[in-house]
Amino acid sequence: MLSVKGLRANVGENEILTGLDLEVGPGEVHAIMGPNGSGKSTFAHVLSGREGYEVTSGSVQFDGHDLLELEPEERARLGLFLAFQYPVELPGVNNTYFLKAALNAIRKSRGESELDAVSFMRLMKERLKVLHLDDSLLKRPVNFGFSGGEKKRNEIFQMAMLEPRLAILDETDSGLDIDALRIVADGVNALRDPARSMIVVTHYQRLLDYIEPDHVHVLARGRIIRSGGKELALELEERGYGWIDEVAA
Amino acid sequence: MTPGKGAQGQGSPAALFQDWLPAAGRSTGQSLPWLAAQRVQARARVRELGVPSPKSEGWRYSSLSPLLEQGFRAVGEASGEAGSALDPGALQTLLIPELRSHRVVLVNGRFDAALSALGTLPRGVRIGGLRDSLARDPDALEGLLTSVAGDGSHVFTAINTASLDDGVVLLMERGALLEEPLEVIHVALPASADARGHELAPPVAHPRLLFSLGDGAQAEIIERYVGPGGGPSCTNAVVEIALGRGALLRHRRIQDEHADGFHLSGVYLSQGADSRYEGINIGLGGRWARTDLVMRFTGEHAECDLRGLYLAGDRQLLDYHLDVHHGLPHCASRENFKGILFGKGRAVFDGLVYVAPDAQKTDAAMSNRNLILSPNAEVDTKPQLEIYADDVKCSHGTTVGQIEPEMLFYLRSRGISAGLARRMLCLGFAGEIIDGLGPAALREHVTEQVGARLEQAPL
Ligand SMILES: Nc1ncnc2c1ncn2[C@@H]1O[C@H](COP(=O)(O)OP(=O)(O)O)[C@@H](O)[C@H]1O
Ligand SMILES: [Mg+2]
Repeated sequence: MLSVKGLRANVGENEILTGLDLEVGPGEVHAIMGPNGSGKSTFAHVLSGREGYEVTSGSVQFDGHDLLELEPEERARLGLFLAFQYPVELPGVNNTYFLKAALNAIRKSRGESELDAVSFMRLMKERLKVLHLDDSLLKRPVNFGFSGGEKKRNEIFQMAMLEPRLAILDETDSGLDIDALRIVADGVNALRDPARSMIVVTHYQRLLDYIEPDHVHVLARGRIIRSGGKELALELEERGYGWIDEVAA
Repeated sequence: MTPGKGAQGQGSPAALFQDWLPAAGRSTGQSLPWLAAQRVQARARVRELGVPSPKSEGWRYSSLSPLLEQGFRAVGEASGEAGSALDPGALQTLLIPELRSHRVVLVNGRFDAALSALGTLPRGVRIGGLRDSLARDPDALEGLLTSVAGDGSHVFTAINTASLDDGVVLLMERGALLEEPLEVIHVALPASADARGHELAPPVAHPRLLFSLGDGAQAEIIERYVGPGGGPSCTNAVVEIALGRGALLRHRRIQDEHADGFHLSGVYLSQGADSRYEGINIGLGGRWARTDLVMRFTGEHAECDLRGLYLAGDRQLLDYHLDVHHGLPHCASRENFKGILFGKGRAVFDGLVYVAPDAQKTDAAMSNRNLILSPNAEVDTKPQLEIYADDVKCSHGTTVGQIEPEMLFYLRSRGISAGLARRMLCLGFAGEIIDGLGPAALREHVTEQVGARLEQAPL
């Protein structure tokens, strides 16, 4: 489904991704762990097509498409979804209107008809409930004035609405208390599906107690230096990230 | 710049503005000495002021040349009465279907009784054409008409006074309540050919509006400036507003002239104690439009809330001047204007809040924020606070920025096209002002118009 080969990317003068390889198959959940500043968000942004990164070599294939050639909205329409580490506030942009525009754009690109108002509303309310979010959220501007936890839950709510083929969750656990973490994890687990893959980016092992990964990767200095099963996450938890510098250097 | 260059080829500024004035003695109410005196005085003032110098403070950002080059002539002089007729079918296309209102239609500044639909007015409320009102009950207007605007802030107000002939009057007695809004539709028509088929000079209309609310009276007024286009037209409107003690006026002004529309309006406001004025000025259309909002408090504990939204694209100049004078203590004012500029659009925001030495406990906050969507668009923003009292709460802020790339990326990452994403962000930016508009039908109409303008914009 996703095949990343030898990906190198710069921000300005600095090379942040230094030859990253990753293969994600259908239905698989991959965790990417690594110290702060190792390039986890950069990788997520490059995959979703954010400006400001220069890919200098390597390739990214997604369902047979050369992902790096596509605009961000084209990637989203192919089923790529990024749950942002720092969701952006959009003052004045109504949540319902926003979701409707997004869902319809994606449906249209798949040749599906627009969802009628009643079905759309029903779908939203059903998905909100899973994430313990209040209906009033629908009338508010996107993320505007939301608490940190609400923002993170809203990302997963959007994911539930848009039903992506590949979701990248960038530190969706950071800043959440244990109850909120459980809610978010339940929301994510409800979306697990043999046809849907996920890349769960996290700094801590904690989230992986709730969202069980098939594969765990350690990212350091812009590339994956170790891969393994979920026991690797536990090892990282015990040993910390200190040893990584020696390996990566 | 050569501001003296008129279409008639006459070089002198005074001669130029003679074309803007009706022939002396033609206007209505000649038998009213107080009104005749005002007109004569204003005529003298027009001569005295002449064409504003491009270097003068109030005019340095907006060139008058495009306006003066058109060779406008006063309506009655240019085209005769017959030239300014609008058929009812054409009016239909200019209406907002869902909007319920007491409707007054002015065609090139002339009150049109046939097109107006006043409906049943509540007790204590009078609405009518200015000309009719002067004919029927001039005493009700003496001491009121021209008293708020006075000499005005520039020559165009003086021209309006010198030409004072028709317009709209709203008189509300103490405690009167107007539940449905008064809607004033200013229709600007271009020149028509005369009987022999000669093109006539494009017309300039000088409507005068007077809104007087007695103590505790409450009303909502919607002014819409529209036109079918087809040639240059100009509206030079003056609006006088007097609010009694505790009166409340919600005043929405939608300038949506056609692409060859020229627009000048001076809104003069006098607020009694405990009164509240909420003004929302939307600037969407027109080629060249200047609005002056001039307000004075005549009693304490009054509140004035001025909001605005302007969208300027190619071949458009939208120009706002605010002159808010806190001369008395314990009054509050808010000035919040937002602009969206695209193409080669130009806008000016020139806002002054003056706080006199005695105006202690003044609470004033002025803000002007602009979104610039193209490198060729431009805005001159100049908010000023002049404060001479020491116990006040005053602030001002101004921003000129572009769409945040982060916001744009967030929307696009959800599958929304870049164009729609930009429009959504612009509408979100504009929403703060549009959301203040009532009734819902008006709000939806303006949202649609703004959306349509943005759709045309090369985003
Ligand atoms: N827009 C940017 N401008 C400058 N440096 C950046 C930018 N984005 C990321 N970086 C740098 O790239 C490195 C990796 O950052 P990031 O991908 O956010 O790491 P992580 O998500 O693993 O904490 C850091 O050194 C960071 O300072
Ligand atoms: Mg990060």
